[in-house]
Amino acid sequence: MRFRRYSSDAFELCDIHPLFVELLADLPRAASRHESARARIYPDPVDADGVDVTGEDIEDWREHVHPELERLFADSREKVSGDLGDLGAGKGSARCMISRANTDAWLNVLNQARLIIVEENKFSERELSGAESPDLSTRHGLSLLKVHFYAHLQELLVEAAG
Amino acid sequence: MSQAGVLTDVETRDEDATARPWNVIVHNDPVNLMSYVTMVFQRVLGFPRDRATRHMLEVHHKGRSLVWTGERERAESIVEQLHGYLLLATLEQAEF
Repeated sequence: MRFRRYSSDAFELCDIHPLFVELLADLPRAASRHESARARIYPDPVDADGVDVTGEDIEDWREHVHPELERLFADSREKVSGDLGDLGAGKGSARCMISRANTDAWLNVLNQARLIIVEENKFSERELSGAESPDLSTRHGLSLLKVHFYAHLQELLVEAAG
Repeated sequence: MSQAGVLTDVETRDEDATARPWNVIVHNDPVNLMSYVTMVFQRVLGFPRDRATRHMLEVHHKGRSLVWTGERERAESIVEQLHGYLLLATLEQAEF
């Protein structure tokens, strides 16, 4: 798979291996399973030791801020789904155009998906560090590969956006 | 006399609580990429790259970094924006 600036308005992912086509196509779905990681995706504005924010403040936060975050996350997934289009449906090597205007949406959705997959699989910090290769004969290992692949895309987009 | 004294005491403590600034703390998590966290600090907090990198490294090595201090409403807005980028951020009142 190659990543490059296609024009002033878009990046291009091309020559995408079929395995990574599947992982890309699955991105919006993977990022939408918020119930698997709700506490991490929608954290309260105070940590466990916090004593300065009251329970009422936290209820207000959940009532007013969380719906706004839900809209932001859903909007990001919609934009990414639009860019993915019919990825992999045609003949020949797969490609995907990423609108520059959607860069933040992509970063957001990649992060949603990674956080959810990590919560679902309870990966260790050592696994996440990439210190050992994932065991691709297991669902756990395939999920770890997906986390690393999405992280790689995030790195490319952060670098390109900077 | 004692009632008035109590009231004054309460009022003073409330005033102190209101006047005390609020801190925005960002916490470490093993998922967010270092380059991503640096980028978010630049965007949300307006940090230049070297300052954003210093705070990112503080989060990474010490588990947390105080990234902003000031009035509560603005602090809440910053935490909300950081949550929008999926960073772990919390509020706490600053110590005098």
